[in-house]
Amino acid sequence: MHVALHYLGVYGVGALKDIALTIVSTILSIILGVLAAAGRLYGPKALQIAIAWYVEIIRGLPAILQLFIIYFGFDQIGIHFSPLMAALIWLVAYGVGYAVEIFRAGLMDVAQGQREASAALGLSPSTTMRKIVFPQALVAMLPPLTSFVVLQLKNTTLLYLVGFADVMYEARLGVDATNQAGPLYVMAAVVYLIISLVIGRIGMRMERRAAAYR
Amino acid sequence: MSNDVVVSARNMTKRFGNTLVFKDVSLDVHKSEVVAIVGPSGAGKSTFIRCINRLHPFDEGTLELLGHRLTGGKAKVPRAVLQDIHTRVGMVFQTFNLFPHLTVIENIMLAPMEVKKMPRAEARERAMALLEMVGLPHKRDIYPKRLSGGEQQRVAICRALAMEPEIMLFDEPTSMLDPELVGEVLGAIQRLAREGMTMLLVTHEMAFAKEVADTVVIMADHEIAEMGPACEVLESPKTERAQQFLSRVLKPEQAADDFVAARTASQGGDR
Amino acid sequence: MHTMLQQWALYLPDYLKGVGMTLELTGAALLVALVFGFILALARLSKIRVLDWAATGYVEIIRAIPVLILLFICYYSLAQAGLKLSGPVAAIVGLGGFYAALYGEIFRGAILGVDRGQREAAEALGMPRSVAMRKVILPQAFFAILPPATNQLSNLIKDTSLVFTIAVADIMFQANSALSQNFLPLDMLLLAGVIYFLFYLILSKFLARWELNVQRRRS
Ligand SMILES: Nc1ncnc2c1ncn2[C@@H]1O[C@H](COP(=O)(O)OP(=O)(O)O)[C@@H](O)[C@H]1O
Ligand SMILES: [Mg+2]
Repeated sequence: MHVALHYLGVYGVGALKDIALTIVSTILSIILGVLAAAGRLYGPKALQIAIAWYVEIIRGLPAILQLFIIYFGFDQIGIHFSPLMAALIWLVAYGVGYAVEIFRAGLMDVAQGQREASAALGLSPSTTMRKIVFPQALVAMLPPLTSFVVLQLKNTTLLYLVGFADVMYEARLGVDATNQAGPLYVMAAVVYLIISLVIGRIGMRMERRAAAYR
Repeated sequence: MSNDVVVSARNMTKRFGNTLVFKDVSLDVHKSEVVAIVGPSGAGKSTFIRCINRLHPFDEGTLELLGHRLTGGKAKVPRAVLQDIHTRVGMVFQTFNLFPHLTVIENIMLAPMEVKKMPRAEARERAMALLEMVGLPHKRDIYPKRLSGGEQQRVAICRALAMEPEIMLFDEPTSMLDPELVGEVLGAIQRLAREGMTMLLVTHEMAFAKEVADTVVIMADHEIAEMGPACEVLESPKTERAQQFLSRVLKPEQAADDFVAARTASQGGDR
Repeated sequence: MHTMLQQWALYLPDYLKGVGMTLELTGAALLVALVFGFILALARLSKIRVLDWAATGYVEIIRAIPVLILLFICYYSLAQAGLKLSGPVAAIVGLGGFYAALYGEIFRGAILGVDRGQREAAEALGMPRSVAMRKVILPQAFFAILPPATNQLSNLIKDTSLVFTIAVADIMFQANSALSQNFLPLDMLLLAGVIYFLFYLILSKFLARWELNVQRRRS
């Protein structure tokens, strides 16, 4: 048996950690992202501006730089996070910046005529949001949300740099120990490829179901 | 305000920012009266009827409507008043605006259930009755995308009627339809007129306006150019602006020339 | 604050060298991505099945793999297989290859987005496919390409920050080396942040506004 295959087991464990982190951070990002999108669209002016700048900064800086600021940078001012903690804070902080824009675009994607028709029928703003706008926005949001989850999964590859023991971390260790950079990195690529494709498939299925009326 | 006047507009003026949409519009609508509003596009017809059910605020003047008195300007209309107006005034849009994610019958049942808290079974029964009336009971479980334009507009009429409105507003209900589908929608509107519904109808169908409307209002250049009994206004308009407009709609070749002239002018203007 | 600015001034020359490297990498990777991406788009639109499949397979697979692993494969794995690329070359191949998949999809979408009537009109006039593509389709597709292309360019610049992991001396590399000397990670990372954010603002604000103007003037 090829030496690289010995690493399948630790890759599996690492992959489970990455998947768990992706799921948890996605859920938190979506919850906070919905709130932030609502604040961005309907909140007081100062809040709108603050959220807009937050989004710009998150989207304007490299992901790795954000991770390093949270893990190494905060250390300078006496705030120290464990690798897991830093990973979670980073993925959520980063994720919210992207989720806000997805929700905002989704909500704005719903035609103005839909809101008008709803208002003309006497439906309240909150009913209009719940029954008319949000269900339609969700359909528009599913494709970018799917890409977003894949993006977050890919972001976990950076976590070995702060010592979080995932697939990449094991791959690095393995290469140091065996000098088998070829098979070990390609195997890591395949692991991420498979998870990404599964996420894409799930997203596509949800889209098809949600968009049945289109 | 006499007893059977249900809409009374006085000197209503509306602007979007600095651009004037209409000014000094005054108009009374009596119970069971059908008022057709005609005029060149851009005259402010759609905006006017949207101001009536307060989809848009207006800037000056007053509007008395179903016992409410609204004044122009920034003052906010209380939610309850807005809600009452929207519940009692139905609206049909040029672009139908059916809810695409709901089936035909769900489109019709939604507002009675959400706003009037009508039990589902009753809402369903009444929705079916309305669909029978417009000849579409077999389409009840279909999504709007799968309907023709004429069918969508008939469903939109049912959706508005399901709230049992006292006044119906129509904004060019047939202008997005293929010619052969216009008749089915006009038929449904005519039927409502015969049943005594109070209606304000923006339309380009002059023959239809003449037939169903009691009163015709010609809007042009941001104001009412002429208003009066349908036959009188459409057959022997008194003001020059009204004559000009009517001669264009009634003589298509003139309209075509105007269209070409307007197109050339606007393209020249873009450069 | 005072010491931070002093440190920034002290290390600024190093950072500027990093900026040079980042921009060179971005330019070279962009060139690779545009050329290879265009080829991928044509392959995906081609009537030859095999070309379509190969290009589709490439796009779907490459897009699903994290950029960092692609860089490692280009740098470490290829070296083990006997193909030793320098850090910058590996970076250009890895980033260029990844972004080619993304640009290919942008090109394909824009070409498909040109009204079918245009294609039919060109055909009805007797134009060969290649002429129709050059004279009718691409000029119209071009302006649909600009906004998403700029957006991806902005992502490409951000992704160049990963090349320090394969020992290429970009901005991020300079930041890491500075902070390991003065032990002021926050200060030194913030300087890198300011630089990256400037790039982002230039691309997302000025360029996007220019594109909007171009589009408005055309319609
Ligand atoms: N939401 C809006 N914002 C700004 N201008 C508008 C808006 N809606 C309509 N307008 C302008 O108001 C004028 C009247 O429009 P409209 O009421 O739709 O006319 P009509 O229905 O008679 O064709 C037009 O010049 C139009 O461009
Ligand atoms: Mg109109």
